[in-house]
Amino acid sequence: MVSRTEAPVDTYAVAMSQQTQYAMLRARARQSWNRLVEGDKPWVRVGLGASGQAAGAEQVFDALKPYGPDGTQQINLSMVGAHGLMYLEPVVDIVVPGANRVFHANVTPEMVSDIIAHYVDGRDDHPMHDSGYAYSGHADSYTSHLLKWDRLPANQMQRKILTANFGNIDPLDIFQYIAQDGYAALNKAVLSMEPEEVLEEVKTSGLRGRGGAAFPTGLKWSFLAPSKVPVKYVLCNCEEGDPGAFNDKGILESDPHRLIEGLIINGYATNSTHGVVFIRQGHEIPIDATRRAIEEAYENGILGENILGSDFSFDMEVSLTGDSYVAGEETAMMEAIEGKRSTPRYKPPFPAQAGLFQKPTNINNVKTIAYVPGIVATSGDDFKQVGTESSSGTALVCLTGHIKRPGMYEVEMGMTIRQVLEDIGGGPSDGSERIKVLQTGGPLGGVLGEEAFDTEIDFDAMAEAGAILGSGGIIVGDESTDIVDLIRNLVAFNQFESCGKCFPCRLGNTHMLDVLDRMCKNEAKPGDMKLLETVGNNMKIGSLCGHGQLGYNPISSAINYFEDEFQKRFNGELEKSGPFGDGSMILPSRTRP
Amino acid sequence: MPDPIKFTIDGQQLEAEPGQTILQAALDAGIYIPYLCYFPHMKPYGACRTCVVDTEAGGRKMTLASCTAMPMPDMVVETKNESVSDLRRGIIELLMSEHPHGCLTCHRIELCGPQDVCQRHVDVTDRCTICPKNERCELKDTVRSVELDLRTPLNYNRRDLPIHADDPFYDRDYNLCIVCARCVRVCDEIRGDNALTLVSRSGVSLVGTSHGTSLMESGCEFCGACIDVCPTGALVEREYKWEKASRQVTTTCTNCAVGCQMVAEVNQFDKIIRFRGDVNSEVNRGQACFKGKFGYDYVNHRSRLKRAYFRKGGILTNATTDEAFTAAAEALSKYQPHEVAIIASPRGSNEDNFIAQKFARAAIRTNNVDHAHNFIGDVTQHISDRWDTEHTKRPIWDIENANSVLVVSGNPTEDQNVLAVPVKRAAKRGAKIVVIDQRETELTRYADVWLRPRIGTAHMAVMGVARAVFDTTLEQGDYIRERTSNAEEFKAALWDYDLGRIAAYCEVEIDEFAQTAAALASHREMAVLLGADTVPQSRHDALVDAVMNLRLLNGTADGSGQGVYPLFFGANARGSEQIGCAPLTADSSLAARLSEAWNTELPSEQPLGVQEMFNGMRDGKIKAAIVMADGINPNARQFGDLGEALGSLETLIVSSVFDNEITAKADIVFPAAPFSEQTSTFTNIESRVQLVRNTSESRFDEIAGWQVFCGLAKKMGKSGFDYESSSEIFDAISATIPDYHGLSHEALRDGGTITHTHTDVADTKSDFEINKPDFSQFSSDGYYFAPGRILHQPERENTLGERNYLNFIDRVEWIELHPDDFEPLGISEGDTVAVRDVRGDLVAQGVATVSDHALRGIIQTTTLFAELATYMEECEYPDPSPTVPGLDVRQVTVEVVAKARERELVAV
Repeated sequence: MVSRTEAPVDTYAVAMSQQTQYAMLRARARQSWNRLVEGDKPWVRVGLGASGQAAGAEQVFDALKPYGPDGTQQINLSMVGAHGLMYLEPVVDIVVPGANRVFHANVTPEMVSDIIAHYVDGRDDHPMHDSGYAYSGHADSYTSHLLKWDRLPANQMQRKILTANFGNIDPLDIFQYIAQDGYAALNKAVLSMEPEEVLEEVKTSGLRGRGGAAFPTGLKWSFLAPSKVPVKYVLCNCEEGDPGAFNDKGILESDPHRLIEGLIINGYATNSTHGVVFIRQGHEIPIDATRRAIEEAYENGILGENILGSDFSFDMEVSLTGDSYVAGEETAMMEAIEGKRSTPRYKPPFPAQAGLFQKPTNINNVKTIAYVPGIVATSGDDFKQVGTESSSGTALVCLTGHIKRPGMYEVEMGMTIRQVLEDIGGGPSDGSERIKVLQTGGPLGGVLGEEAFDTEIDFDAMAEAGAILGSGGIIVGDESTDIVDLIRNLVAFNQFESCGKCFPCRLGNTHMLDVLDRMCKNEAKPGDMKLLETVGNNMKIGSLCGHGQLGYNPISSAINYFEDEFQKRFNGELEKSGPFGDGSMILPSRTRP
Repeated sequence: MPDPIKFTIDGQQLEAEPGQTILQAALDAGIYIPYLCYFPHMKPYGACRTCVVDTEAGGRKMTLASCTAMPMPDMVVETKNESVSDLRRGIIELLMSEHPHGCLTCHRIELCGPQDVCQRHVDVTDRCTICPKNERCELKDTVRSVELDLRTPLNYNRRDLPIHADDPFYDRDYNLCIVCARCVRVCDEIRGDNALTLVSRSGVSLVGTSHGTSLMESGCEFCGACIDVCPTGALVEREYKWEKASRQVTTTCTNCAVGCQMVAEVNQFDKIIRFRGDVNSEVNRGQACFKGKFGYDYVNHRSRLKRAYFRKGGILTNATTDEAFTAAAEALSKYQPHEVAIIASPRGSNEDNFIAQKFARAAIRTNNVDHAHNFIGDVTQHISDRWDTEHTKRPIWDIENANSVLVVSGNPTEDQNVLAVPVKRAAKRGAKIVVIDQRETELTRYADVWLRPRIGTAHMAVMGVARAVFDTTLEQGDYIRERTSNAEEFKAALWDYDLGRIAAYCEVEIDEFAQTAAALASHREMAVLLGADTVPQSRHDALVDAVMNLRLLNGTADGSGQGVYPLFFGANARGSEQIGCAPLTADSSLAARLSEAWNTELPSEQPLGVQEMFNGMRDGKIKAAIVMADGINPNARQFGDLGEALGSLETLIVSSVFDNEITAKADIVFPAAPFSEQTSTFTNIESRVQLVRNTSESRFDEIAGWQVFCGLAKKMGKSGFDYESSSEIFDAISATIPDYHGLSHEALRDGGTITHTHTDVADTKSDFEINKPDFSQFSSDGYYFAPGRILHQPERENTLGERNYLNFIDRVEWIELHPDDFEPLGISEGDTVAVRDVRGDLVAQGVATVSDHALRGIIQTTTLFAELATYMEECEYPDPSPTVPGLDVRQVTVEVVAKARERELVAV
């Protein structure tokens, strides 16, 4: 009903008149959001993701607390997730309503009094130019002196789809997510689309699984959709035990509702009844954030019976694994959720036939699921415009190692690795001369040499270059990196993380590690190179799951790019390697709790 | 039934049953593909990868593990081409790098003996010749099938782990383990015990016990299933560990009424050196139990009786068998028929016991004949009298498919072990389990409802459940209308069964009836394991009526998983009953048949059961007895003081394998031939007649039971006992007893068979038995003791002691009492108390503990199953299995040994 009088617009009344649950949620969300950005106090946001915490953001946040709502109420204070530019952590983002928005990088607790003095008390004798970056939309006498935040190459070259909300919203507040049009896609799907239409959009988008195998997501869903049984599961995999990969955790700690929305849509499109988010034990911040987010979703009618007033019902929970890398293998993950020892099952039957608790099941990576709300909100065609022909969308790259600007960057598929390294990453870190080697896609992924740096970031192009994009982790090594030692570390990881079920992987990894260990100690025996190849190939064909099948990857890719180093090691022409210079290494078992 | 799948292996056309894997189809067709982790009856595992094959189907070539891959139509499978062989060899080579393999790759493997000097300088510890499984090692056969090279570039990594040799029955040497997880899986999938598990991961992943401790605490039931599936020497029986078998004989275990088919491995000296479950048997599917697998060894014992002897002037003197027969015949001739009792052995075969009762009825002309462990014979008798024995003739493994299982007053885990296996499997599958018992047994741990009526009231509790079924309209109306004629009457009679009154009478919560009804009745397929361990004899019939009524209400009478399984004790209790070696009234049809067959009138006096015969001995009414003592538990509660009863006899003739309490009172003793020295038949719980095959001949004067009676009869001048062999007797049985028609030893050689009187289930008589409610008090003054025993008690801390190099559970037991019972008994919590039975014997001692689930008037304690393993190992009887202490409910008194405070002082 439309009001005849010209009364001020009451958003609640409008929502009531529209009669949709979502409109009411959104109205409430906008109201509280506007109170923050258009109120009379500066809004201070501190990045409290794991990267921020590691850099001391918690102390900064604590120092800001006395001025916040629980203290003198001079500022509005929020915690947000990670910004991705991890070399700048801790980042404090200050919005002064009606004036400017400034980011302060590498903030220490000591700087808090300066921040308050400047933004609250209005004193301008503490400009803090060194640490400040302005948001380019605002320009005044103060901010015009500052570097522009969004003009930084590390920001400018990103294409933010998954990370759009990173650093912008409080992950523990569902209304901040809704204020950014969160759950609009879910609302659209459950109220105005048939499950088949949603599935069709996902198929059209060309979205491929971000977990490593790059399997077309729509196709995977379509295996699950037709089976008519009362209970079906959609699982989301955040085991993410790869060293140097943190984008799944990043999504969960910075924007968990995006994942939840995606997983509900996944459930809707495949007529499933239950969702499980599987997170590795020990990823405390993502676990807490996801649990809280699920709670909030239940509280607001987004999970449970009749989601958002539709006739679709869906339940979701978080399940934790033990300390096991193989638990991220999809069937091992199902065993773990069932409370068993997380070892892979043989296939077939495939999960879509008999998965979790022998019910039809789909398993997707966190990133894959997190793309879904965007695809449904716009269209599959729109999504397909981004990226390359065979790999649509973006890649969430985790850059670590000998690089100047480590961080988590979302780039469009098709950008070359060199662009990522040099333009975004800023080249080798101080003290290094050149980038010699990249380790991509986790310890099973493999390594790339310099000649491959012009490869486009694209599932197929990367695979052709002998590495996998996998989880998106790129560990950078400079000229000082000892390739055989690096490979030994990777194989040691794989050996330590093998579940011990199938014989080729359980024993093969041990023997490959044995050989590499000999080589690093300059004790290689004749036939060792051949032995690596035989054992590796047997593992490739003979193993039960991907862990064993890919176990030879690091070695084969390294031989591909750095055969001479292997030769030198084999001939004993190099110094003994390892952190102690005696050829020994720190075994993974000693680096684990 | 879907069509079989046609495909090709190595150029040979094969048909696979739907659901079969490539490996199974190949093995069925006699094509060998090496495998290690696969084992029949278990789910595929896919770990060892030695069964890899190349496949091509629909243009796609793949290398697959054949144990997990299903064949596809027109698939072409290659098992021996070069790439697959190389891969397989590569994997086995990896495996050999951590298994002592000095001999496995050596061409002299068939030639070397343990003492030979090795010219290859292989460490002694790495030689196959010192492995207990040498010459019967599955791994060796598999490895040798791939023809490894003598040398491998892989480093050999010996684990150097200590051998676990301190648990009963078997040794675990994990240096030989290949981590195929067969043992872990059999313990989990088949036995449901999870006593074993995989520990750690990656290259050091290994098999261990569930809590990293001794098997005593990990929930092991010492069934030996893990040993039987182990392809290496990692798990081996400790007895005769290094003995080699020279032949194998499949026979029937005679330690309980399940009748497991066992493969006896016999060495060159005709000794049975190992017993393992026969995988192909329909009865036990390769399973066995602690009594069966480890309790066979008495047949090899050197203290076995070799010759007959009799008492001359109070002194036992050796005699020839003939002298003993003469003396026995002479002694027996002095008594009136009704003064003689004949007690047949619980291990007596159908042949032995048929002749025993023929001797009693036709030669002595007494009706006093029974088999010794006839504790629930009246239960099955009642079922066949009122309904139909067909109700009790269902295959054991049908229980696996039941939707609910009702276990009444029995402890199959200990007494009929393999019968409990399908129950646990059904529970794992989601079937509802209801246990009616006062004692905590292993199956109460699986129970959805554990109903604990007061002693003597179980029949009313079951009727209460029946009433609750009606109250909640869960009865199967269609079935009842179709199959029963008196449903309305029964319904009307149920009005007298007031749930409130029954609840008060049974001392259970009134809600429990509805819970039980819901658990049982909402599923049509209900199996009943019917025992009467804690039910007084006078209430057996009422209990059977109630249980049978409940079955009918639930619509269960025919079909898979719907049988009644009577929990017999003696190994051939069922057979003895069927062939007439049990109390038999003159008007019964069996008596008529026997009379006709023997062409003689049967004695008409009131028959006495085994307990009445023992009572008669004490009263002096029975003056002479023949006792076939093999397998009689002298400590069975039902016998009272056995020595006293036998001691009051004037003449006692005994056939026994060993000297024991019974032969000590005997006047004439015949040495009995144990099961390993006779060919005979046993009939198990399912009414399956199976052959016991002899593994050796008797060496001295040992004779089978039937030979004792035939010899005596001949000496007494009776005709009709001129049998030459047991198979001749069996022919007489099959000619006389309808159930056995058409059977012969020859026919049973291919496997046992369940005897049916008729096979059409529609003929199975099914009517309700209508009784008035019986609220009469069973005399229950004083306190009852309800001992419990379970496999695993994680909530309690155990300490292990060591005795004779073996672990045992060393802990103070909790004597659990209801809070209200402390004051009247004059004890307080924490006191050390002794529980004594009416004879004054100590039955339990421990610390008095308040328990939430103790019943008023019942003193209970729960011990660990491991104590039975310790008992078996330490038992002074050479034949411990029959004497394994059961969980006897009995009247007791409780006295304080030490007050709570004193106990601490004592401890100091």
